Amino acid sequence: MGKAMGSEPLGRFYSGKKAKKRREWRGLKDTWYDYVHWLGIWKTLIGFMLRISNLRAFFRYRWMVNYLAVPDFFDRHTEGLRGTQLRITRTALELVVTDMCKSMGVMFRADPALGNDKALNERLVVFDENMMSEIMNGFPNLKWVSVEVPAVYTCAMMAQDSLFYYLDKAQEYGIPNDVCPMPAAEFGVSLEDDYPRIGKCAIQCNTTCDGSLMGNGLMAARMGIPTFQLAVPIRHGEDSVQQYAAEEIRNAIAFIEEQTGETFDWNAFFASMKDFNQETAHLLEWYEVSRSPYPQFTDNSLSLYRYAVYMAAGGREKEFLRRDQKLTRLVMRGYERREPCAVKLRHRAITWGVQAAYYTAFAGWLTNCWGIVPLVDMLTLCSTREVNTEDPEKAIYDLAYLYEKMIMRSRSNGGYEVGVADLWRYCEYFHADMVIMYAHMGCKSMSGYHGLFEEEARRHGIHLVWATHGLMDARGVGRRDMRTEVNRYMRTVLREEPLDPSLEDFDDEQAW
Amino acid sequence: MKDLKQIYQLETLLQEAHNDLVRQARDRGEIAIGSTCSLIPEPLVNLPGCFSVRLRAPRTGSIEMGTYYMTSIMCEACRAILERAIEGGYQFLDCMLTADSCAQMNRCVENMEHLKLCDREGFFVTYADVPMKSDETALRHYVRQMRQYVLEPLEKRFSIDTSDQALQKAVALHNRISGLLMEIGDFRREENPRITGYEFAVLCLSTYCCPKEPLIPLLEETLSELQSRQPDQHPTHRAKVVLAGSEIDDPELIRMIEEAGALVVADRFCLGSFPGREEIRLREGEDTLAGICRHYMESGQCPRFMNTDKIRERHRYMDSLARRFHADGIIYQQIKFCDYWGYERAYASRVMRDEYGYPVLSIDRPYAVGNAGQLRTRVQAFVESMEIKKLKRR
Repeated sequence: MGKAMGSEPLGRFYSGKKAKKRREWRGLKDTWYDYVHWLGIWKTLIGFMLRISNLRAFFRYRWMVNYLAVPDFFDRHTEGLRGTQLRITRTALELVVTDMCKSMGVMFRADPALGNDKALNERLVVFDENMMSEIMNGFPNLKWVSVEVPAVYTCAMMAQDSLFYYLDKAQEYGIPNDVCPMPAAEFGVSLEDDYPRIGKCAIQCNTTCDGSLMGNGLMAARMGIPTFQLAVPIRHGEDSVQQYAAEEIRNAIAFIEEQTGETFDWNAFFASMKDFNQETAHLLEWYEVSRSPYPQFTDNSLSLYRYAVYMAAGGREKEFLRRDQKLTRLVMRGYERREPCAVKLRHRAITWGVQAAYYTAFAGWLTNCWGIVPLVDMLTLCSTREVNTEDPEKAIYDLAYLYEKMIMRSRSNGGYEVGVADLWRYCEYFHADMVIMYAHMGCKSMSGYHGLFEEEARRHGIHLVWATHGLMDARGVGRRDMRTEVNRYMRTVLREEPLDPSLEDFDDEQAW
Repeated sequence: MKDLKQIYQLETLLQEAHNDLVRQARDRGEIAIGSTCSLIPEPLVNLPGCFSVRLRAPRTGSIEMGTYYMTSIMCEACRAILERAIEGGYQFLDCMLTADSCAQMNRCVENMEHLKLCDREGFFVTYADVPMKSDETALRHYVRQMRQYVLEPLEKRFSIDTSDQALQKAVALHNRISGLLMEIGDFRREENPRITGYEFAVLCLSTYCCPKEPLIPLLEETLSELQSRQPDQHPTHRAKVVLAGSEIDDPELIRMIEEAGALVVADRFCLGSFPGREEIRLREGEDTLAGICRHYMESGQCPRFMNTDKIRERHRYMDSLARRFHADGIIYQQIKFCDYWGYERAYASRVMRDEYGYPVLSIDRPYAVGNAGQLRTRVQAFVESMEIKKLKRR
C-alpha cells in the first residue's frame, strides 16, 4: 500500500460478491482527492433523488436500480490510478454522470407517469440511442433526449446483470438469441413498457448495424409518436453518397420543423458547432500526447467521455468545452512531467471492435495486470473533421458527414477500408504494437472480417489478442472469460509474467 | 402428376453455379456478372452482352473455411458462398456488382475480393449503396448509385451498351421471363393446383441463376404443357401455405415442406417470385434507369426497408398474397443468424397471427436442409394444427 502506482495487489478488492466498501490507499494526497470526489458523486446522486419525479422514477422503472452502482463504477474505473491519471479520469467521467442526471431529470419531469410536465413534453424530440444529437443545435427552443441511453446503454455499464430481464423478454417475444443484445434489450424494455412515454416526435436512424435498424423498426410501432427514420448511407467513405446523406439531414430537419412548429436556427447551430469544433481540437491534442511515450488520457476514460461529447452534448453544453480545457491542461501537465500511465508500459495497444458494455473497466485491468495500455478504442476514432460554421450549404454536408461517422457505425458500416484497413493505419499513427480485438458475439459486421484481421495482423507484425464477449449479456462469456483469453495469449505466445499477479485470475461473476 | 418435361434439365442446371447455360453464354463471349442481392435490378446486369448469376452454393457440405474467415455466428448462406469461392466455384465470373445491403453478405463479398478468390484477368467488385427507404430522395440516390456502380463499370470495362434502348431491351427480356413465370405461378391458385411449389421454385430459381434468353423456350414449353396437365385426383397436400422469409436458394426445402403436407402456393422470399418476378412498367416520359430503380424500390419487400410505412406494407402484402392464393397459413423462415429476418420473422409472424388471423409457423433453419428432420416434424405439426382448426371451424 502506498503512493506509488502498483504498490498494492489490486486483486484483493474482488471478493466474489458485490462490493459494499472499497477503499484503495493511494498515498495521502491522492486518497484525499479520490475520497472528496467519491463524496461528490454521492452529492450528485442525492441531489438527483431530491426531486420527487426522479424519486418516483426509482419505483416506476426497474432499470433505475442499477444506478445505485455508480460509486462502484468509479471505483472500478479508477483502480490503480494515481496523480494526473486519477484526476483526468475523475474530471472526465464525473461530468458524464452530471450530464446524465440532468438528462434523466428532464425525461422524468416530462414523463406523464411521473412529473407530467406537458409543456416540456411538447418540446422534447426523442432520438435513437446510437444517434448523435447535433441536428438539435439548430433548435434551441427544443430539447433532445434519448430514452434508450439511461434505460439500456449506461445501465449495462453500471451492473453486469442489468439487462438480463429485458433480453429474456425480447427472446420470449421471438427475437433470436444470436442478434446483438443491445437492440434486443432496447426492444425488451419497449415490450415491458419501461421507457418514459415522452416526446413530441422521434428520430430514428439506421445506426450501427442491421439488427439495430430492425429493432428500431419494431420500436417505432410501439412508441406512439410521429417518427422519422433517417437513412444514413452505408458506404459512407464514398463521395457518391454525400449528396443523399445531406438530403436526408434536410428531410430530418424539415420533419422536426413540421412536428414542432419550430424553425431551424442557423445562428444557434453555428454557435454550438464552433464549440464542437473546439472540442474536436482538444481531442486531437490528446491524441498527439497518446502518440508519445507518455500517453495520459487513454482508452476507457477517453472513450466514455468522448461518447458523451460527440454523441450527446454535441456542442450545446458549454460545460463540456470547459471540461475539455481543463482536461487538456491536465494532459499537458502529465506529459511535461513525464508521468507514467502504467506501472510499466509494456505494450501500446489499440482496442478494436466494440467493447463489452458490462466490462468497461477491462482496459484498466489490461493496464494493471499486464502493462497493456489501450491508447484509444475504435469507437472514439470517428470524425475529426471540422464542421463549417458559416455557410449553411457546406454545413449541411459537414453535418451529414458527421452523422455518417457516428460512433460504431463509422466502423461497422462502410466496408473493409474503415473496418479493417484503418486499423493498421492507426497502429502506425499511435505506434501501437498490439491490438485488443473485441469479438462481440452478436456483431456480424465485425465478425465477418475475422480471418482477414488475423492474416493482416501477421503481415503487419501486430500482436492480435482476441477478447470475446456478449456486449450486454454476460451470461455467455463473462468478464473472467475475457481476461482468460488475454492471460493465455500473454503467457503462451508472449511468455510474459503479469505485473500484478493478484489480477490474473479472480472471481467477479457476482460483482456489480 | 406426370413429371414436367423440362424439370430434370432445370434441376441439373441448379446443381452448379457454373452450369451449362452459363458456359454456353461465356463461350458466346458474354460477360458473367456475380450478383448477391435483389436490390441490384436484374435488367441492369442483363443488358445485351452480359448476364447475371445470383451466387449460390448448391450441394454444400463443409463450410469450415468460410467459418474461419467469418466466424460461426455469421449467416450460413454467406459462409457457404465464401467456402464455394475458396474452392474456386466462381472462377467464371468477370466481375461482381453488389449492393452493400446486408452486412453479412457484404463481408462475404469483401472476403472474396481481398482473398483474391476470383482471379480472372480484370476481375473487379463494386459495392453500391442502395436505398433503405422508399421515397423520392432515396430514388435519386438509387439512380446515381446504379449509374456509378453498375452501368458505368459495364460500359467502361466491357463496352456494354447502357443506352436507354439497351435498358428497354433488358426490361423487355425481364418482363417476358416474369410474364411466363407469373402465368405458370397462377396455376397455384387453383383449388387443386396442377403445379407444386417445388416445381415452381425450380423454374423460378433457374431464372435468377442462368442467362435468361435460353430459358424462354423452356418456360414457354412448360407453360403449354401445364395448360393441359391434369392434377392428381387425390392431392397429397393437406394445407396450402405461403412461404416467406430470407433467401431460399435450394428448392429441396420446399420439397421437404410439401412432403410434410403443406403445399407452397406462394413464394414470398428472396429468390422467389414475390417480389422479383412482377412486370416492370416504365412510366411515360420517365428516364428508363429511374423507372427501373423506382420499380425495385417500390415493389421491394426486403425487411431492410426501414420506414414504418414500408413495414406495414409488408404485412398487407403478405395478407394479399395469402388471400390471392387461398393459403390456409403462413410459414416464416429465416436462415440462422440473419439479423434482418430474425427481427422481421418475430414481428411479422405475430402481426399476421394476431392482427390478420392466420395460422403462422415461425422457424429458423440451417442453410443446407438435407438432414433437417426437426424441421419436417415442425411442419407436420403445423399442418396438423391447421387441419384441426379447419375441422373446428366446420
